Amino acid sequence: MIDESRRVSMDIHYEISQHYFKEATYLQNWKLREWLSEMVDEEILYWMPIEENRLVKDRRPEPTPDDAAVYNDRYKHLKQRVEQIYTGQVWVEDPRSKIRYYVSNIEAFHTDVENEFAIRCNVLVLRHRRDTQIYQHSFLKEDLLRKTKAGFKVVRRKLTIDARSVQDKNLFFFM
Amino acid sequence: MSDKDVAFISGAVRMYRERRGWYRSVCNVFMVGEKSRMEMRVMINVKELVDLENATQAKKIFWDQDIYDQEQERIFGRSWLFLTHDSLIPKNGDFVMSRMGEDKVIVSRQKDGSVEAFINSCSHRGNQVCHADSGNAKAFTCNYHGWVFGQNGDLVDVPLDTLCYHDNLKKAELGLRKVRVESYKGLIFGNMDPDAISLEEYLGDMCWFLDTILVGAGGGMELMGPPLRSVLDCNWKVPAENFVGDGYHVGWTHAAALQILGGPLAGLAGNRADMPYDDLGKQFTTRHGHGFGAINDAVTSIHPENEEYADFMAETRGVVAENLGTPREELYMSHWNCTIFPNCSFLYGTNTFKIWHPIGPGKIEVWTYTLVHKDLDIDVKRSIQRQAIRTFGTAGTLESDDGENMSTCTDSNRGFVTRKGRMNSTMGINREGRHPDFPGIVGASFIGETSYRGFYRFWAEIMDAPDWEAIKVQNDNWDEIWRGSEFWSDK
Ligand code: FES
Ligand SMILES: [Fe+2]
Repeated sequence: MIDESRRVSMDIHYEISQHYFKEATYLQNWKLREWLSEMVDEEILYWMPIEENRLVKDRRPEPTPDDAAVYNDRYKHLKQRVEQIYTGQVWVEDPRSKIRYYVSNIEAFHTDVENEFAIRCNVLVLRHRRDTQIYQHSFLKEDLLRKTKAGFKVVRRKLTIDARSVQDKNLFFFM
Repeated sequence: MSDKDVAFISGAVRMYRERRGWYRSVCNVFMVGEKSRMEMRVMINVKELVDLENATQAKKIFWDQDIYDQEQERIFGRSWLFLTHDSLIPKNGDFVMSRMGEDKVIVSRQKDGSVEAFINSCSHRGNQVCHADSGNAKAFTCNYHGWVFGQNGDLVDVPLDTLCYHDNLKKAELGLRKVRVESYKGLIFGNMDPDAISLEEYLGDMCWFLDTILVGAGGGMELMGPPLRSVLDCNWKVPAENFVGDGYHVGWTHAAALQILGGPLAGLAGNRADMPYDDLGKQFTTRHGHGFGAINDAVTSIHPENEEYADFMAETRGVVAENLGTPREELYMSHWNCTIFPNCSFLYGTNTFKIWHPIGPGKIEVWTYTLVHKDLDIDVKRSIQRQAIRTFGTAGTLESDDGENMSTCTDSNRGFVTRKGRMNSTMGINREGRHPDFPGIVGASFIGETSYRGFYRFWAEIMDAPDWEAIKVQNDNWDEIWRGSEFWSDK
């Protein structure tokens, strides 16, 4: 739960934004092992729920991590995904596709735990594959970020993808 | 004749030869003038598209608009198409959206517990009457002029009915277009054709196989939603044939994922030469093209860490053996890759359940549910669902390998010369036939193409048949191409 009145100072905001830009650089340069070990906490819950199109009057609760989700991964699952890429046998990523992340609207808030921050930002991803394939995805990223001696690490990540029906071959990339 | 005349005549002959197909199709269009407008299109020579004897198919079946149009009419307009599962619309008024071919339909649970399905297009000016994926509604009100349809699709209210229509509107005739609905052990299917055979006849021998899991040890199976949805640039038959019988690609396409996953399936990674491929499992195909491949003792392999699931299977297999016999007990403990013709596929054991909704010859929308044993504990169901989606969802570690093959198989057949070529599905061709323990046609190894051949045999039959009567008369000799096989007689 974000306490909107507890926005971080300019200094902390600068530090956090730099962290997200660095994360984007890691991901788009296929530095996935570095990303995982330096920026992801071993307690991670990495979650992308499925949001149905529902009528406004529909009273059913919002999805929780108990429900169907595109991603519902812990650290070991993310590690399996990363290692799969490096087996040299993932034909779809050979030659490698190009991926670019546009991170914006970064908002950061203090939480009740010192050194833990609640973050909200928008991300636009452009993937270019093979000769002419272009895919784009727009999503909201909501993180619980912990500041450690080794830098910021994400403890909980919720990714809300705006498309109900995803227009891409897969969503097997890191966000 | 002068040289000029000769040149003129030979030019005309050449032109005729080049356009012969087109002239014929124009003739066809005129000749069928009395028939419905649906019939007014280029006639397809199905025999040329599917060569049963040599087990080849024309490459253009993945690409051609005319073939696609005929599929819409003759396959999607006449087959039983998966709509939803009982577990997804349990209560009075619960509804889900679905599709039948390119037609959008609403599936709704009625007061008396029955299920109705109707086309999601207003009988006034054609607007879509419902835009939600699912929900609970006693009525659907059209956004355009406000006509109200009841939960069974009947037109129940019209604004200004008296003041402007002066009570002349024949409301009883203006309900939403109904779809035939029948269900088999929880799976709900719809059919657009009033003359089609019943769902149970359509599934035919597949019922015997499906009972292995849909009856199982008593509770059977259910689906967990909501579906993941994604659009893929491929022909609908590419994933349908892949699920019906492609054990072959598993070790190669998914080499990396299987290696990382570990467990019994890791042995398949990279097509190792030391695997006893003929002893790993079998393939099956049936009258109406439904078929599957089974890998022995592999039911929970994609869930290597889920002990509760493995325990459940071990505990219930005895009941299955008692109620259904040993052959089906073995199938109960196998991993299945299955397609119910035309576009409903599932992996039993991996627990993924997919519909390939066509949107033109080169595009589909994939809907992915999770298939679980009803009698499992809810927490075990949830952990199965997480792993099923982790491997075969939109971001799945195995599924992500497949999407690329699906769309490339479609797109690469576009080339003018390429599309005149043929595709091959001959693996295991003389190693199949009638089997003493199973109905249908049984192939010797799950790495074979028996169920591909069965799928395309029926595809060709239904594409060619003017109506269901013409299909029914083939009931006794549909298996002609396998008649001479003695393959299983001495096994
Ligand atoms: S189109 Fe639906 S009420 Fe007019
Ligand atoms: Fe596959």
